[in-house]
Amino acid sequence: MSGAIEQPRFTCALGACQSVVAIKKGVPILHSGPGCGVQVSRIIGQGEGYAGGSTMPCTNSEEADVVFGGEKKLRNVVENSFKVIDGDLYVVITGCTAAITGDDVASVVGSFQEEDKPIVYVEEGGFKSNNYVSHSRVVNAIIDQYVDKFNEDREVIPGLVNVFASIPYQDPYWNGNLEQLKRVLEGIGLKVNILFGNESEGVSEWKSIPQAQFNILAGTWAGLDIVKHLKRKYGTPYLHFPYAPIGAKETSKFLRAVAEFGELDQNKVEAFIDREEKKFYSHIDKMASFMLEFRYGIPRRFYSLADASYSLGFSKFLLNELGIIPGIQFIVDDIPEKYQESVLEEFSKISDLQRRDVKVVFNPDAGLDQLELLEDAKDYEDKRLLILGSSWDKHIADELHADLLIISVPVQHRLVMNCGYLGYEGGLRVIEDIYDRVLATYR
Amino acid sequence: MRQIAIYGKGGIGKSTTTQNLTAGLAELGKKIMVVGCDPKADSTRLLLNGLAQRTVLDTLREEGEVDDLSQIEKKGFGGIRCVESGGPEPGVGCAGRGIITSIGMLEDLGAYTDDLDYVFYDVLGDVVCGGFAMPIREGKAKEIYIVASGEMMALYAANNICKGIQKYALKGGVRLGGIICNSRKVDRENELLREFAKELGSQLIYFVPRDNEVQRAEIKKKTVIDHDPNHPQAQEYRNLALAIENNTQFVIPKPMTQERLEEILIEFGLMDSIKDNYHI
Repeated sequence: MSGAIEQPRFTCALGACQSVVAIKKGVPILHSGPGCGVQVSRIIGQGEGYAGGSTMPCTNSEEADVVFGGEKKLRNVVENSFKVIDGDLYVVITGCTAAITGDDVASVVGSFQEEDKPIVYVEEGGFKSNNYVSHSRVVNAIIDQYVDKFNEDREVIPGLVNVFASIPYQDPYWNGNLEQLKRVLEGIGLKVNILFGNESEGVSEWKSIPQAQFNILAGTWAGLDIVKHLKRKYGTPYLHFPYAPIGAKETSKFLRAVAEFGELDQNKVEAFIDREEKKFYSHIDKMASFMLEFRYGIPRRFYSLADASYSLGFSKFLLNELGIIPGIQFIVDDIPEKYQESVLEEFSKISDLQRRDVKVVFNPDAGLDQLELLEDAKDYEDKRLLILGSSWDKHIADELHADLLIISVPVQHRLVMNCGYLGYEGGLRVIEDIYDRVLATYR
Repeated sequence: MRQIAIYGKGGIGKSTTTQNLTAGLAELGKKIMVVGCDPKADSTRLLLNGLAQRTVLDTLREEGEVDDLSQIEKKGFGGIRCVESGGPEPGVGCAGRGIITSIGMLEDLGAYTDDLDYVFYDVLGDVVCGGFAMPIREGKAKEIYIVASGEMMALYAANNICKGIQKYALKGGVRLGGIICNSRKVDRENELLREFAKELGSQLIYFVPRDNEVQRAEIKKKTVIDHDPNHPQAQEYRNLALAIENNTQFVIPKPMTQERLEEILIEFGLMDSIKDNYHI
């Protein structure tokens, strides 16, 4: 992507430091200019976590580090990070300055690796990509430089899977989402390395990555580089489920795909799905009277400004389970062109019942997207609209008197703790949150 | 104040030529500052009779900041004020940024005083990045001389440098003052250089013959004029100094294509045909 865009909903490559923050006792060490880390963690990330935000060690490169090279300073910061932050894994990530100057980060970190310190490096350079891409590079660097050391003579553990789905902090609900995925996958009999967040066992879990029977990627494109890398490196096969599974139908579909891929016990899987679906639909049953009462005041049409994974996942759920019609879907994750066709293909089969054309716009310039949205919304002035977006979209939601559900960064208008929208329970949370907004305007 | 940048292929003799020529200008009573823009920091050795001064960047590295011009400037032969930008250790950091930092610092410290007649920037071989173009950016050197010889790679480098000059010339005021030939005693060198300069739209401003006196003086850490003022080579540098003092021809160079450059070389007998390897 070149040229200026308005309202970015991702960060530069350095944003992958948040992926390290999301690993239990993971410590990112930034070799970057002062302020880069804070910028990143203010766009993606609420709260600092164990070693995030202003806790992140940083070399704060200045002019002298450019002219003379910043290797000495980096060494110093790494040494002292070991002393003052009790971490299980340290990840050095270089920013633009050091990348342009060409600091030999590999040799600095290499000397600590020789001492068997749990440290890896990723030469990012903020300019190299966005954080959707660099997330994969960070994960792969941890695998290559750290995890791989423990791989000697280890055998595949049947039923063990590594799950790659939400990108920590880039997906504001990553923690809750990963918890949900882990819960349902364990429900069908798998042992799950979820790798990030509360439900992960931390670095010890990472060490068993090469032993997985197979890997699961639940997402459109970000993370493909990880599962492909693991396939090349350890021969681990992977299942690619190309969007976020939300609600009963999609989660059951996801679980069945996993079960088939992993050749799991059919009866056990179906029993779990049955139990979950019954629970899920019992809540929908309860809601029927509310739906009836509010039938003229609930959103009928929604727009989304989100990444491809959420856009597809939400569209399938909202259309097929709640009957809310997808308006224009603005995909703002700067998805590479080679993956765009598959997104359109997935949208084309969104409904099992009838052909439905969903307009999809791939444009990370959300300022332009908003203009198009406002223009389109003129045709639906009498309808209650729902916008799935970010805090950037609050003003257009206000202007259109639309309901806004924040599903994308930056998140300034809501506090996120363990909320997750994936899986069965996540689907219920989506319903709660959407209709909660309806009730909030009840007079 | 005339600000002049000297460019040319690495090893062609930029520093030697600059120092000998500024010694000649100093004899004419001119007030001069020489700014070495090469990380090797050997642009003022002959004027100072040795590597006698700390570079701007070394001072910055050791002291953290430079408060006073006297920390980084030394007077050399004929009162010439000498400054070396210096640079990081080879293979580390960013030398280009170092030059930008140094020149910025000279400006802040008020090194460009009104009494100066000349400021010379002796810049490293190729204009590899923005930093090495710093001396010819807006408000700095307006005149450039390229040191070359009849060797193919020297001409190739000179032509490349002209591409850089052209870029800056079109948006600023920098102009090429001419080519200085630092002779390598190549056949028909004078004619070749004259033709080369003409093709660029410029001139061969002076042909400095090869003479071992230059090396002898260098070993003694002196310019030729300082070492043996009566040697004929000293007169050559005085002539070069006069040619620059009296120069009025400043042009935007017209760099040539690789094909045209090779044609000229064939014409002057350096190559038999394009297919052959070139022999010097």
